[in-house]
Amino acid sequence: MDNFGYLFAAYSVIFAVIFLYVVFIWRREARLEAEVRALEARLRELGQGSRPAPADTSRGRQ
Amino acid sequence: MAAEPSSSNIADSTGASAPAMARLAPWLGVATLALMLASLFMVFEYVPTEAQEGIVQRIFYFHVPCAWVAFAAFGLVAIAGVFYLWLGDQIWDDLGYAAAESGMVFCTLVLITGSLWAKPIWGAWWTWDSRITTTFILWLLYGGYLMLRAMADDTPEVARFGAVVGIVAALDVPVVIVSVRLWRTIHPAVLVTRQGGHGLEDPRMIATLLVATVAFTVMFAWLLMLRFAQLRLRSRMKELRRALALAEASAGDL
Amino acid sequence: MGSFAALLRKDLRLELRSGQSTLALFALSLLILVVLVFALSPEPRDRAEASAGALWVAMVFAGMLGATRALLSENENGCIRALAMSPVDPAMLYGAKLAAAFIFMTVAEAAAVLLVVLFFNLDFGPSLLRLAPPLVLGTLGFSALATLLAAISGRTRAGDLLLPLLAVPMFVPALIAGVKSSAAALAGAPFSAMSQWLGVLVAFDVLFVTLGGLLFEHVIGED
Repeated sequence: MDNFGYLFAAYSVIFAVIFLYVVFIWRREARLEAEVRALEARLRELGQGSRPAPADTSRGRQ
Repeated sequence: MAAEPSSSNIADSTGASAPAMARLAPWLGVATLALMLASLFMVFEYVPTEAQEGIVQRIFYFHVPCAWVAFAAFGLVAIAGVFYLWLGDQIWDDLGYAAAESGMVFCTLVLITGSLWAKPIWGAWWTWDSRITTTFILWLLYGGYLMLRAMADDTPEVARFGAVVGIVAALDVPVVIVSVRLWRTIHPAVLVTRQGGHGLEDPRMIATLLVATVAFTVMFAWLLMLRFAQLRLRSRMKELRRALALAEASAGDL
Repeated sequence: MGSFAALLRKDLRLELRSGQSTLALFALSLLILVVLVFALSPEPRDRAEASAGALWVAMVFAGMLGATRALLSENENGCIRALAMSPVDPAMLYGAKLAAAFIFMTVAEAAAVLLVVLFFNLDFGPSLLRLAPPLVLGTLGFSALATLLAAISGRTRAGDLLLPLLAVPMFVPALIAGVKSSAAALAGAPFSAMSQWLGVLVAFDVLFVTLGGLLFEHVIGED
């Protein structure tokens, strides 16, 4: 039964491909989350900047 | 001033559906890990070696669940496409895209593992057997879908195109199956005995296949959730960009 | 039904004036056949099968590049948007575009069949008439598919690259059935050898004409 190589290759490929796909998702996730945070912060700033109230006190919420 | 409350609203309501999915995903990940370990144990320790094909037959226990998951994923693309065209909610497009992508991962695995099984058993990496051909056409169909998504911008228009292609491709599959079967009616005997269910006399083989199928289904759900949550986040990013552009324009006016 | 006839008449009149689409289709078929003669050798072992295959390769690739011109002209100057906003039923619009593409392709194919007969040294005879059902059914299916997909690819970047990527895999069942039944027709096999393949072609046509009619509205519609 020297066909073990094929069996080993099949199972390795499955786990390698799934692993690579998860890595691919996670790498994007970090970038995306950072960008969404930055956008949210900028939006809140703008929303308060146009108001006459002191901007610094309310910036800390959320 | 009218735009101001809506812009701060959008910044605060951190996409209600995304965190719920993000909470679900780790649990699915843990379940996937446990089920995968169980199926690996069953495949390599518990199940008896098949008499005719020997040790290579064990590829079958992961190969078949991959095929089932790929088919289910592509069905999901079509269903999501119908809902997107019907309701026009971006969430359906995100679901369809995520399903096509993760389905493609499993469809690729079906072809690779099938090839690795065919080489020692049939003596060739690739044959134009009806089942392989159908799977390969399926792979090409959804490759086309993903190329469309990759080559076009992220607009509602392209989302509609994706929905149309997903629906048309899924409904094309039955015709593909029939025509390819007529084209290649000669099945190697091994495949007939396998597909007839006679290859799995031992109940332990059936049990192993069942556990592996559940494991792959949960793994698919996990990957789908990860990618789907990510695409939701991306849609939210686009929404925020729009709102920001509006807010900046109105701030500039003041 | 009136709008269908009007739209089709408009496309046909434009085509009669310039002959562009049909000529482009024919020229492309000619070149593809020349390439295939060199690739396959003019005296292949199975002449019926090789010439049937050549004919279908020419049809698919020439059709991809040429038959969508009817729709392309409207994409270029934004007329498709105007038509989408007009009260014309999108299914009628789709039907008219499909009919125009079908007519251009059929004319070009009739010429391509003559070329195949000459190039592969076949006989002029009743077997050529039996080629008509697979070719007509296949062309109908291809036009239905290409019209729907060209409306998509024509409105994306790198659309001419995208169209074959989407259309060829979808066309596979009709391609298999078309090549097999055409080869049987050219080999002089009885009709029963063709009937199951013609059945596949009919199913393909019904499916794609219906789908195109139902979905065209979503492809051309505004947001």
